[in-house]
Amino acid sequence: MFGHKDIRFIKSLVRLNSSTPKEFVNRNPRNLERMRIGRKPDGYHLDKPGRKFWHKLAITASNRTVTAQVLHYINGPVIEAKTSEWALQKQLYSIVDTCAYINLGRVLAQRCLECGIYEMYCDLKPLEGSKVEKFLKEFENGGIKLQEPDVYKNPHPWDQYRPEKPWEVTEE
Amino acid sequence: MLHTIFRAFQISPTQVQQLRLGHTIRGKAPTKSRTIRERIDELNYKDEIYTTRIDIGFAAERKSNSRQEQIDHIKKMKNDKQLEQLARNHQLVIDLEESKKVWLETLGPHHKKQIADHYGVFEHLYGEGFFTPHLNLEIFYDVKDLCIPVYTGNVIKPSEAIQPPVVSYKSDADSLWTLVLTSLDGHLTEHNKEYVHWLVANIPGGDVDKGDVMIDYLQPFPLKGTGYHRYAFVLYKQDNKISYELPKVLTSSLEGRTFVTRDWYKTHQEVITPAGLAFFQTSWDLSVRDFFHNILQEKEPIYEYDFPEPYIRKQEWFPLRRPFNLYMDKYRDPKEVKKEYLLWKLKNEDPFKSPEPPLKFPNAQPLPKSMPSWLKLHEKKLRLQWGRVNDV
Repeated sequence: MFGHKDIRFIKSLVRLNSSTPKEFVNRNPRNLERMRIGRKPDGYHLDKPGRKFWHKLAITASNRTVTAQVLHYINGPVIEAKTSEWALQKQLYSIVDTCAYINLGRVLAQRCLECGIYEMYCDLKPLEGSKVEKFLKEFENGGIKLQEPDVYKNPHPWDQYRPEKPWEVTEE
Repeated sequence: MLHTIFRAFQISPTQVQQLRLGHTIRGKAPTKSRTIRERIDELNYKDEIYTTRIDIGFAAERKSNSRQEQIDHIKKMKNDKQLEQLARNHQLVIDLEESKKVWLETLGPHHKKQIADHYGVFEHLYGEGFFTPHLNLEIFYDVKDLCIPVYTGNVIKPSEAIQPPVVSYKSDADSLWTLVLTSLDGHLTEHNKEYVHWLVANIPGGDVDKGDVMIDYLQPFPLKGTGYHRYAFVLYKQDNKISYELPKVLTSSLEGRTFVTRDWYKTHQEVITPAGLAFFQTSWDLSVRDFFHNILQEKEPIYEYDFPEPYIRKQEWFPLRRPFNLYMDKYRDPKEVKKEYLLWKLKNEDPFKSPEPPLKFPNAQPLPKSMPSWLKLHEKKLRLQWGRVNDV
């Protein structure tokens, strides 16, 4: 949908006397999303909500299998886990029962951590005590945050406040 | 009368369609217009010539038909009363390590390829080429009894990657391998080139220490303010012993490290084939500053994202109903405006005195009655730290 073309960084004026050039380009297509300055597909206010995300969690259940996917707004499914794949089915009693959901959550969380996607949007509203709720609980216990940060908006000089720049926050 | 009939014949079909004038203002009729999705797809459309990809890796190994074994295993599990009890009580917890081992042998390589595409790794390494990493490459950094593995895109801090990692993979004793670590985003001057951080050629079997180190290990150095850089390990299988015609770099300088994987692979593609892939992301921390100061003996560059300039419309002669001071500030030289605020700030500061404590109730301080209202507002903004004061 939207291309990330403008990934230039201008060196701040203080360091102009260094030998490196003024402009630097980071080609990493996921960089702007991580730095919170990439675009989200916004503008569908009159549509059913659920389009404004970089990564989104989706679960599809059928009679034979349960599929959990992480979707990207351009690239589609990027991380997948199914209860019917041999890695899970080998140790499960049934591939559609509650335990299947719980273990699917654990496996998908592990895969997300390995792929460096730690935060994602989730619009699932499970009923209390349902299988999906247990899946989400295990998924969050696995270390994934089910909320995506908002896009950082660069303040105009005449704006009232200056929000904190996400890339300047470093933990010591 | 004749004249009007003549005119009627001249109406073109497009004019006939525009009878519903009220609707044309908002664009074409719903049946005629395209959706936003269609329009964006049309904008991003690329011809087949540019999107065709070439598989440069190994084909998947043919495995013996294990379906019957799987069916037997499932039957055995279904008859296990103890397992059934666990599943009914929601206590069946599978072993993640065992599950991962099976995953690596079955769907793992395909999932890895999927996520590498998502991170644009193949695109920036080989252009149109890609491969499915059928060989599992296990890499971890050993930091103070802590083992930090490299998977596919996880985040590792540069301070954790100062020493070369431990690499292991399954191989025959008489096979030869090449391991390359490149930074896909780190080049300081040419953004479509890479730095090669590590190149070990002619590795016999799985012992990386016994290989010929062509280019010595260099720690990752993501620059401050440029976000997350990708670093990719690729393991190539060699058909025979090769002496890559590369100048050896055994110091930690950046000279001779500029690299384009695509060109390098093109010259040696007859004898090497990519088999394993692992990559990580990394962002700035203090060890990068030390690296620039102590090893490169250089000033550390600092960057900031180049946001587009805000739109300011053309200045008017008589801007009606606009506060004159705020309006004029938009059209002044920003440096001059900043200087004014800086001077105001410095005016109240004395290097030999401790700064005055901030006002407890800034809005309760009376302002002189003779003061015009715009100046009162300006004063209040200064006291509350609103607006342009924050820029200095």
